[in-house]
Order: sequence, then C-alpha cells, then structure tokens
Amino acid sequence: MGLSDHYPALIVVIFFIAAFLSPLLYRWARRVSAALIISALIAALAMVIALMAEVQQTGVVYYHMGGWAPPWGIEFKADSLRLYILLVVISVSLWIFVFALRDLQHELKKRVIGWYYTLYALLVGSMSGIVLTNDLFNLFVLMEICAISACAIISIKEDRECLEASFKYLILSAMGTGCFLLGVVMLYMVTGYLNYGYLHVELAEAFNHYPRNIFTAAALFIVAFGTKAALFPLHVWLPDAHASAPSPSSAMLSGVVIKIYAFALFLMFYEVFPRVLLDSIPLNEIILWLAALGTLFGSIYAMLQSDLKKMLAFSSIGQIAYIFMGIGLHHDSALVGGFYHIMVHAVTKAMLFMAAGVIIYSTGVREIKDLAGVGRALPITMIAFTIGSASMVGIPGTGGLISKWYLAISALEIGRPVFVLVILASSLLNAVYYMPIVINAFMQQEDFKKEAKPVPRIMLACLVIGMLFIVVSGFYTTPVVTLLQESFSAYF
Amino acid sequence: MEILRGIIDNYYYMVSIILFVIGMYTMLTHSNMIKKVIAMNIMDASVFLMFVAVGYAHGSQAPIIREGAEVLYANPLPGALILTGIVVAVSVTAYALSLIVKIYRYYETCDYDEICEIRSQE
Amino acid sequence: MSQSTVLAIIILIVGLPIIMTPVIMYSCRASEKLRNILSVATSAVTFGLTLSLYPFVIGGGEIQYTLFEVLPNLEISLRLDILSFCLAVLASFVWFLCAVYSIDYMAREHACGRYYPVLIFTLGSCQGIFFAGDLFSLFVFFELMSLIAYILIIHEETEEALKAGYKYLVMTIIGGLALFFGMIIVFELGGTVSLGVGVIIEENSALAFIAFICFLIGFGMKAGMFPLHVWLPDAHPVAPSPASALLSGIMLKTGAYGLFRVIFYVFSPELIQSAGWDLVLSVLAVITILLGSAVALTQTDIKRRLAYSSISQLGYVLLGLSILNSNAVIGAVFHIFSHAFMKSVLFLAAGAIIWKTGKRLIDDMKGIGRQMPVTMGCFSIAALAMIGIPPLNGFLSKWTLAMGALDANMVIYVLVLLISSLLNALYYLPIIIPAFFELPGDSSHEPHHDHHELQFNIQDAAPAMLSVMVILALCTIVFGLTPNNIVFTLSRLTAQYLLGGAF
Repeated sequence: MGLSDHYPALIVVIFFIAAFLSPLLYRWARRVSAALIISALIAALAMVIALMAEVQQTGVVYYHMGGWAPPWGIEFKADSLRLYILLVVISVSLWIFVFALRDLQHELKKRVIGWYYTLYALLVGSMSGIVLTNDLFNLFVLMEICAISACAIISIKEDRECLEASFKYLILSAMGTGCFLLGVVMLYMVTGYLNYGYLHVELAEAFNHYPRNIFTAAALFIVAFGTKAALFPLHVWLPDAHASAPSPSSAMLSGVVIKIYAFALFLMFYEVFPRVLLDSIPLNEIILWLAALGTLFGSIYAMLQSDLKKMLAFSSIGQIAYIFMGIGLHHDSALVGGFYHIMVHAVTKAMLFMAAGVIIYSTGVREIKDLAGVGRALPITMIAFTIGSASMVGIPGTGGLISKWYLAISALEIGRPVFVLVILASSLLNAVYYMPIVINAFMQQEDFKKEAKPVPRIMLACLVIGMLFIVVSGFYTTPVVTLLQESFSAYF
Repeated sequence: MEILRGIIDNYYYMVSIILFVIGMYTMLTHSNMIKKVIAMNIMDASVFLMFVAVGYAHGSQAPIIREGAEVLYANPLPGALILTGIVVAVSVTAYALSLIVKIYRYYETCDYDEICEIRSQE
Repeated sequence: MSQSTVLAIIILIVGLPIIMTPVIMYSCRASEKLRNILSVATSAVTFGLTLSLYPFVIGGGEIQYTLFEVLPNLEISLRLDILSFCLAVLASFVWFLCAVYSIDYMAREHACGRYYPVLIFTLGSCQGIFFAGDLFSLFVFFELMSLIAYILIIHEETEEALKAGYKYLVMTIIGGLALFFGMIIVFELGGTVSLGVGVIIEENSALAFIAFICFLIGFGMKAGMFPLHVWLPDAHPVAPSPASALLSGIMLKTGAYGLFRVIFYVFSPELIQSAGWDLVLSVLAVITILLGSAVALTQTDIKRRLAYSSISQLGYVLLGLSILNSNAVIGAVFHIFSHAFMKSVLFLAAGAIIWKTGKRLIDDMKGIGRQMPVTMGCFSIAALAMIGIPPLNGFLSKWTLAMGALDANMVIYVLVLLISSLLNALYYLPIIIPAFFELPGDSSHEPHHDHHELQFNIQDAAPAMLSVMVILALCTIVFGLTPNNIVFTLSRLTAQYLLGGAF
C-alpha cells in the first residue's frame, strides 16, 4: 500500500490542503502561498501522468475511499478517458495560474489575493473530483464546491457588474443543482444505488418496471448540466459572468469549468443510464438540436457585442455547443471530435481571454472599436489573438479544424448532412466577428492612441505556449485521437 | 380510484414535488433577491424531503440498533446523505446572502428588476 | 536523379521561402538593400531549384511521398508530377521577375517592411499548393496563401483597399468552407483524400455532385469564375502592381490547378462526362469569358480593365477543362502559361505607367507611348497576344482550344472564342493606339500639326522594371512563334499524362 495507490484521492485532497493552508501563509509569508498552489498543481499533474501510465498497463483503476467497497463506500474511477480530461484540466489550470500571478495584482485588491488562491485551488480540486468520482452524491457535493468557488472567483473583484453577474450565476447554478438532486432521488428510488457501475447494471433491469422515473431523471440531468455548461437556451448567465470576471477567472471558467459539466453529462448518458434508454427515447436528439442552435446563436450574439470579453464569452457558448453536438450525434467519431474540442477549446479560449487580459492590463481598453492599431503596440499578444481566432474559425493547421473534421465526418456517416452545414455556417459566423478585430489591430493607419504599459514577460510566455499548442494540436493528433477512439469504442 | 389511492399513499412525494415546483418558480420569476435565496432553500429542502421519504418503509423504526427481536429499520443512508446536502445548501445560502449584502451596498435595492433598470440607464 | 534528392529539393522549394520570411522581416533593420537582395535571391534560388527538377520530370518521373499522418487515413504527402512541375516553375519564374520589379517600384511606397516578407511567404505557400500530394495539404496551403495574400491586397491601406480586402477575405473564407465541405464528402465517400490513388470517387451520387459543386465554389472563387468573381475587380487594382501581376498571373491559376486536380484525380474525366457535370463547368466558363470581356469594355481605370480581362481569360482555361479532350487540355495548360506571361506584362507595364506618371485612367494615357516607348511596346505585344494575333502565344492557345472544341463537335465554343477575341481587341486597341498615335490630353488636333509634335520624349521606367517587362514580353513571342517550343511541349506532355496516365 504505497502512496501511489492513493493517487486518485490524493489528486483531489492535495488541492483542498493547499486551499486551506494558503490564506494562513498569505498573512505571514506572502510569496510562499502562490508557490504552494503551484506545487500542488505540479504534484497533481505528476500524479495524473503516473496514473495514466498505470492505467495503460493494468487497465482501469478503482479507488475505494477509506477502504469501504461500493455500494456502501464512495468509489473513484480512473480510466484513460477521465485521465485525459483530468490532464487537460490540471495543465490548463497550471498555465492560467502562472498567468494569474502577475495579472491579479493589477485587478484585485491586495488583501483578497490570498483568498483568490484558495478559491482557485478549491475550484481545481473540485473539478478533479468531478472527473474522477464514480458516485452520484459525491458528484453533487463536488459540483456545489465547484459552483461556489466558480462564483466566488468572479465576485472577488468586488465591482458592480461582477457581483450581480456572480449572483445570477449562483442562482441559476443552484437551480441546476436542485434539478440534479431530484434526478438522483429518482434514480435512487428505483435502484437503491448511487454508484455509477451498480446503477448501470440495475437501471437496465429497472427500466422495464419504472421507465418514467428513469426518463424524468434523464431529463432533469439534461437541464441541470445544460444550465451549468451553458447549453443554449440555458446560457443566459454566461456572458455577464465571464465578461465581468478578472481575466484569469474568465479564462478558467470559459476554458475549463463549463467543459467539466459537459463531460459529466456524457458520463451520465453513457456510464449511468442503460443503453436501452437512449435506444428507446432519442434524448440525444434534443441535445443535438439545442447544440446546433447554440452554435449559430452564440455566434450571432457575439457579432453584436462591443465589449471584447463579452464577445469572447458569447463565442464560448457557440464553441461549447460543438462539444454538445459531439455528444448529441451519438456516434464514436462525433465523440472523438467533441472531446478533442474540449482540449483545443480549453487552450484556445484560455489563451484568448489571457490576450484580452494583457490588452486590458497594458492599455485598459475593453471596447472592440478602440482596439484599432493595437497590433503595433502589443505584437505578440495580437499574433496570439490571431492564431486563437484561426483555431476558433477552424482554419487548417490549427486544432480547431481537427475537431470540426471529426464532427463533420460523423454527421455524414449517420446520414445527416444538415449538421455539416450548421458547422460550416457557424465557422463562417465566427470568422465574421473575429476577423475585424485582427484586421483592425494590425492594419489601421493611425497608431494606437493610448499608452501601452510594458507587459510582463511571464504573461507573454504563457501566450506563446498557447500558440504553440494550438498549432501542434492541428498536426500531431495521433496520441490523443487514438486514446479517444479506444475509449469510445467500448460504448458502441 | 387507482390514481387517487396512489397519490394518497405517496403524499410525501407529492408534497415534495409541489414544494420543488414552488421553489423553482419563485426562484426564476420573483425579482427580489432574498426571495430567490429563500426559494432556493425551499427547492433544496423539497428534494431532501423526498430523499428521506424514499428511505422510509411502512412500519419501520428509527435506524438505531436495539437488542431484541428483528425490527424493520428505515434506511439510514438517505438521512446521512441529506445531512451533507443540508450543509451544502446552507453554505450556498450564506454565500448568496453575502453577495446580496454587497450588491445592496452598491445599488441600494434588493430588487433585481430595479437593478437592471439602474444598469440600463448608465 | 534519385528520389531522395528530388524529395529534398521539393521540401527545400517549399520550405526555403517560408523560412526566409522572418529573416527578411528582420533584415530591414539592417538595411533596405539587404532586404531587397535577400528577397530577390530567395525567389531566384527557388526558381533555380524548381527548374532543376526538369530532367527528372521530363523523364517520366512521378513522386507521391507520404510525410506523416495527421489523422487515421489522412496523411500529409508530397506529389511531383508534370502538372505540378509546370505550374511550380511558372510560378517561381514570374515571382522572381516580379521580385526584381518590386525593388524599384516599391522604393516609392510605404510599409515595404511588410511587403517583402509577405511576398516571399506567398511564394512558399504557392509552391506548397503545387507540390501537395493530398487534398488536405492542398487545402492548408491554399488557405494559407489566400489569407496571407490579403496583406498584399490591402497594402495601400486606403479605404478602398480595405473594403476590397474585406470582400476578398469574406469570399476566401466562404470558398475555404466550401472546400472543407467537399473534402469531407470525398473523405466520407472514398475513404481517403490522397491524390496518389488514381481516382477517389467512382460513382455518381447526390453527395458526389454536392462535393463537385463545393470544389467548383472553392476553387472557382479563387479562379474568378462567374458568379464568384466579385472580389477580383476590386482586389486586383488596389494592390501594388507587382502584387497585381502575381495575383492575376499566378494566384488565379492556383484555383485552376485545384480544379485540374479535382477533375483528374478525385473524380475521373469519364465520371464527369458521363454524369453531365462538365455541362455545368462549360456553361459557367462561357459566361465567365463573355462577361469578363463585356464588362472590361466599360472600365476606365486601366487596372480594373485588366482585372476583368483576367476573369475572362481564366474562363478559357475552364472551358478547356470542361471539354476534356486532348487538344482542349493542351490548350488549357498552355493558356495557363501564356496568360501568366501576358497578364504579368500588362500589369507590370500599367504599374510602370502609374509609377512614372501617376496616371491610372485610360483616357489620360494618350501619347504615353512616346514618353515610355519600351513600356508601351511590351504592353502592346502582350495586348496583341491577348487578342490572339499570330505569331504570339495567345493565338497558339486559342487555336489549340478551338481545335479541341471542334474535336468535340462544339462549334459554339469556337464562336465564343472568336467573339471574345473581338471583344479583347475592342478594349485593348483603344489603349495602345492612342498611346502611340495621339497627343496627351487632346485628340482633336489636325493631322498636319501632329508631325511636329509627335516627338519621342523618352522618360521611361527604371531599367530593372524595363528588363523584367522585356523578358516577359519576349516569352510571349518566343513561346508562340511555333508549336515547337518548350512550353507547348510541356503542355502537350501534361495533357497526355492527365488524360492517358503516362507519356
């Protein structure tokens, strides 16, 4: 029983420990507290990689909390798909945190920066838990921790817009949680289990006796996770929340948090609910059509925005809809495309929000029309913005194309080419609102009017890492795609 | 008759669903922010009620082991779960209320519609 | 020449310009002259390397080499066959000459630090298009080239240029999305997008037709096919003249090249003819030819007239592609070459006139032939070639296309070619005749006064610019005198290769 056996639990616990120690350290030894969070992130990353190696060799790893076996104890499951998502979550969180180290001093009041670190650690820890857990009630608790810390890293800025946006997010998130809990009750009523594995087996049997309970539970889960993951038309909290938050929070929320809930919905539909449910009632059709509308409307709303971060937030709605389209198409290539998009969009949107953060840090400008000529003052930032926009549009050579490729192939394979047209139309709309910013930034005659503060090199380095990743993910796709294809072949 | 008998037997669940819908409706439509928080609590409480009711079996007793004959015990698991749930709901309520206090300091009103009007005038 | 040498050369041809782009960008800090020399040197080296592939290709060599796999069944590969060689050598030749021309032309312009790196980068991506071995890498380089060429188009940064550039960008993205759609359908129906497997789609189906239409939209938009030509008349005139020459001369041909690959390597000519899709292409080609020429008559700005002329000339290539017999394809490939030479001369000459005198309107160009004789001489040669007067190369390509049309028993195409030649005459002759034989600004002098004032007052363009124009004009003469020239032989071999599979 070495330490390595406890890795699944340690990944979550280490963040909570760091979260609690951080404010104490911040009071007396300021520099150490950031280092503590970073070391927690790096340690968790190392553990994830070690777990991935183990899972490659021995298959799925189950961890029982406290040694209590399910169905009485809480179980954590680590298989290659969950570890892939975990890897994306933790590495993107580490990257955003490095960016945040310099940016926060500019955006928040001094005394709350230590609390920000706490909330950040809680957020990452709870998300890791959501990915790893195999128990419905544990999922509920971790979802709530995630919701509170997500709202808190928005409201920590303490100005008018972000408080109100944070409250709206909290209320809608709480509504989602209420629906989720009711769904859990429905499932518990007919099976008496809360563990995914046991539920999967029992529900197949229970579906014959109580189909309506299970159907209600599935519908409630769609509403719950749809609200939290900003599926159209439940996205209304997202633009205010992501636009008014400090930049690292926006990057974190848009990049990682909403994806976790999409992943949780995927787990519900494929690991908890039995196959007979999806075969008999085409729930994925609903998700598919809502996602299709979401891609189009997200882009249309984004075109109308004048604030840079609001535009990026609406763009997130459109992009997360791709992931839901992958789930909704109910085909293994579509899931590969959707999950590849989780990785690509996490990096791209985080980088775009970071670029916006750099622009705001350096020049204080938030309106798009004031951005004319900023490319001369902040060249690396705007090149990063250009590459990020290229990935959003799906220009070949960036990772965005690969996910759209897979989604389009699977749409054709199941014989529904209309969704390819939806993907193409949304790519075009994405181009319509991203291109003017890029063009304006570089090509205007007049030089940028405001003064540009020099940007710390660490922030630029983060942007460069993002750019490299986007380009590499457009070409070197084999390891990720093979991993995803192997994972999904089990479900079909 | 079957339906009526079904409703009467399962009145815990019916009440719980009614409370859930009341909570959700209030949360979404009423504009006073404190009412929203109260409604959230009602919604969560209704689900907890349903949870506990699931654990109850007719003629069962509290799940504390006594010596003696075999007794039917109510399921303790839901009770444990909702204790956790109540804690979670309380912490969310606390955070929401603190947000309301801060918003009140900025806008001087607890009414969400008024806040939207103030913001649209700016 | 061994296969690995050829591969190394191809990678160098595509990679050298792209690698040199940041070098050139930073060399302007050292000196402008260094930057100019580096640009010209890079394009010269690229041309030399491309030319060195000639013995390999003419011996029947063909290479399809897979570099690596991006997704399962989707590989990035290189392809060298006679079609890619033809276009690559043409592109690098014209690029080299335009780079030389740019040195003097751009000395008076602003933002050269942006112009040269972009010029060289577009060269690299253009070569990448021609050497791509599968639709995916073709698409990647195609989009890359189109997007970077945007910077050349909006170089002047006037409001007109920005609007033209925006229109170009939107249409490029729409074309790119259509190409993506077509590529996905091909991948779905055929299982691969590689150009080395002969024919990918064998059967006609609704989905295959949609793919064909998407490719027509995507590549046709770049080639200026009706009705997707709307960006061309705005974009080509606002670019600086060497860039206009490249846009009209080479970048339009990349669209035609894409259609060549689609017709011969994705669908086979038999499928296209049996399914009746060539009718779609031929109708669009005929409309393009006539529309381009007709609207060119109404233009008063010289570069706009030349742009519309480009539209109609590309229509010839598309017409040849739609007839799909031996003479027609020879004519199409040969016309790619001849139009590149002719149109480059025309745009470069127009550019020299604008550079020297600032005049853009045709009415202002009376008498300019006496001021700039060499420039207008080259312009006239190229214009006469466009009209189709023997013994210039324009005549040879029209003749071959007409032969192809007659072989296919479509006399109507011959009629179209004749009408378009007539229209070409109608809009070129009014430029060249007044340039030599009329006085500037005024055309109502009586004949006997002209003898005194028809003097030559030579203030021509810079020698570098002149020599480029003269070289290209000579190409139009040399490659048109008889059918026994190297370019025509290459076209003949290409057509044989495409239609027959080997030569």
